[in-house]
Amino acid sequence: MSSASKPMILELNDVCFSYSKVESLIYNLSFSIGEGEFIGLLGANGSGKSTILKLASGILKPLSGDLRLWGKPLHSYMNRDRAKLISYLPQTLDITVPFTIKELVSMGLYPYDIPPAMSVYDALEMVGLRDKEGAHLADLSGGERRRTFIAMTLLQGAGLLLLDEPLANLDLKYQVELIRLLRKLRKDRNISVVMALHDINIALQFEKVVLIKDGKILGIGPPEYILSEELIRNAFDVDVRIIRQQGEKAYISYENNF
Amino acid sequence: MKIKMLIIILISILIFGISLVIGPRIINPFDMDDISREILFFIRAPRAVVAVLMGMALGASGAVLQGILRNPLADPYILGISSGASLSAALAILGGLTFLGTFTVPVFAFTGAVITGGIVGMMGWKKGGLWPERLLLAGVGLSFLFSGLLMLIMSISTDEGLRKAMLWIFGDLSMSEWSRIPYGMAFVTAGTVISVARAKALNALILGDEFTHSLGFSPRKERSVLFVSVGLMTAASVSLGGMIGFIGLLVPHIMRFFIGSDSKLLLPASALGGGALLCIADLISRSILPPMELPAGIITAIIGSPYFLYLLRRKNVLSI
Repeated sequence: MSSASKPMILELNDVCFSYSKVESLIYNLSFSIGEGEFIGLLGANGSGKSTILKLASGILKPLSGDLRLWGKPLHSYMNRDRAKLISYLPQTLDITVPFTIKELVSMGLYPYDIPPAMSVYDALEMVGLRDKEGAHLADLSGGERRRTFIAMTLLQGAGLLLLDEPLANLDLKYQVELIRLLRKLRKDRNISVVMALHDINIALQFEKVVLIKDGKILGIGPPEYILSEELIRNAFDVDVRIIRQQGEKAYISYENNF
Repeated sequence: MKIKMLIIILISILIFGISLVIGPRIINPFDMDDISREILFFIRAPRAVVAVLMGMALGASGAVLQGILRNPLADPYILGISSGASLSAALAILGGLTFLGTFTVPVFAFTGAVITGGIVGMMGWKKGGLWPERLLLAGVGLSFLFSGLLMLIMSISTDEGLRKAMLWIFGDLSMSEWSRIPYGMAFVTAGTVISVARAKALNALILGDEFTHSLGFSPRKERSVLFVSVGLMTAASVSLGGMIGFIGLLVPHIMRFFIGSDSKLLLPASALGGGALLCIADLISRSILPPMELPAGIITAIIGSPYFLYLLRRKNVLSI
């Protein structure tokens, strides 16, 4: 199915943003997120990925341009109503917070007066943390910490998850596990995910990639079409080789750089 | 958790009752003569109520501030509110001002506290919101300034009000009377109710501003509402009976060991715990060496700190 025929959850049109008056961070950014889409926001450090996610979540307001959530201006939503539709997870999680896993996950219910059908235990079950409810974040592995917050967003009921570098600092095993979990949730609950990434090989696992450099979109589309050696060199400032083997997904090799 | 909360409520009520009947003179509530009745209603009861109100304000404010400033070392005095109140109260005492009768010192203290809180708030304000680090540093900076000024006027003063001012600064409940209670109760109740009503937002703020936003709150608005409510509550507390150490900083930590960190339970528990602790401390301070009274703030620190250190050794979690 082409993305055009799916209803759009969030649309960004010509969004510009800057922290200072001198320098712009994000230039004329336009892309949209459809229902059930899995989008990788790929770019080098400092390219503007986090800023884009903060704009999309409404944490930052654009200087100009238009953000629409289900067709209505994003900033016209009440905070609570928006929270039922979009959930944002920052890159760094403070693991010294004093709450138990169950307390953390149940914060997903905060936007609701009448709790939705899903219970805290259902959410913990879905991310495989049912036996960790009494633990604290500091007691968990990096992957389990991420899963705790995924459970929180499930309870929150938001259909769109904006995840800032959720795979950073995770062992390969936990990276795979988290992607698998998100895919399963998409199948079961039709969630959409936009994930900031800097690992090109992981980006190849997504159906759609938005390649960012210096706050501008270099390319947007399925990774096998847009991730050319030249474009990657441009975005990351390194030489890469794309290796395609018969019947397998492509992968990226950086070995020429060493 | 509900059972633990109930236990805390019952213990608090029990302590309040005990502090009414015990003292240099033991009062049997079922068989009172006129003197006992006088002591109970006009000396002990207002004093116990003031102790509870001050303790509640400090305990709840401490729990809120540790959350909104995301700092386990925060207490209601770290924002400089107490030093502003002390300076202002000392000016009234040493200047011999009495134009508002017995209300002169409390009104000065309250005004000093509110002005200081306002300055700290303004200095902590940037880009449409309060910033925890800025608030903390502004509070610490102003504290030093006001403490310095306080020391200065105390060191050049030869007035006999000096001892009175000293006593007030260390926390003096002996001036408690019914007439001060209505305003104290109004501020403390309002502050506690607003804080408890914003408990979910406070939990979210502990996770960070981005989480707060994502969970459907405005971090700037929530932090401002909580800051103003604890500021007024602390100002009321300081004006009722001076500075009482320990409660605002450590009662929330002690309560965390019992009831967990969910602000919905922690705030009422810290309020009750603070009230009960100050009640006991005041009971000890007026009973241990009668007719002399020790400042209650000294007792809270001496009985509270070893217990806190014991808990710290036994349990290994200590954070906000």
